[in-house]
Amino acid sequence: MDNTITIISRSAPYGSANARLCIDIALAAAVFEQAVNFVLLDDGVYQLLSGQTPAVIDSKSVDAALEVFELYGIDNIYVDEGSLSSRNLSSEHLAVEAKPLDAAGIAALIEESATVINL
Amino acid sequence: MSCLHTIAKSPASNLLTSCSALLQKGDGLIFVEDGIYYCDQLQLEDLISRGISVYCLKDDLQARASCKGSLPDSALVDCKAYVDLCCTHDKVVNWF
Repeated sequence: MDNTITIISRSAPYGSANARLCIDIALAAAVFEQAVNFVLLDDGVYQLLSGQTPAVIDSKSVDAALEVFELYGIDNIYVDEGSLSSRNLSSEHLAVEAKPLDAAGIAALIEESATVINL
Repeated sequence: MSCLHTIAKSPASNLLTSCSALLQKGDGLIFVEDGIYYCDQLQLEDLISRGISVYCLKDDLQARASCKGSLPDSALVDCKAYVDLCCTHDKVVNWF
């Protein structure tokens, strides 16, 4: 086990503050040079959809925030395959590049991580 | 007496299952906020055959870049039409 922080983001982008909170936690951790795994699970996969126009509902773009992760040294963005397929989505619908992972893969990430934040 | 039901959470909430059992002929159902994620998963035939009018708030759908599924364009309403729907039904029941 190393000091990696795994953040599991399970909420759709604009219906609650949860998606934004997960992103802020990840960026804060990355600024302090912590290793971060960012996992989109359940409704969290909706954060990755291409073509979002949140200005229509006076919100700030969540997918744009995810795209700056690389600049902060967060290269490990994962998406749960099962969550995508149960929502009729595939990688071609996504604006943000994320590594596909199955449930066993996510379980392994959790096991390897010192801290897991899930919201 | 007609009733407008609003659903504001995604299918992960299972709200439609609870709501659907209570819908009556002539009622309206509108998906708003995260409820719009229901649109591309929705089997409309059952609701329509029961005499339910189904709508979706267009702004919330566009913002999230989700699909309208089998909903016709006429079912996509703007905020003004949403207010009109609230007024033309006798009451509004919110599911969230």
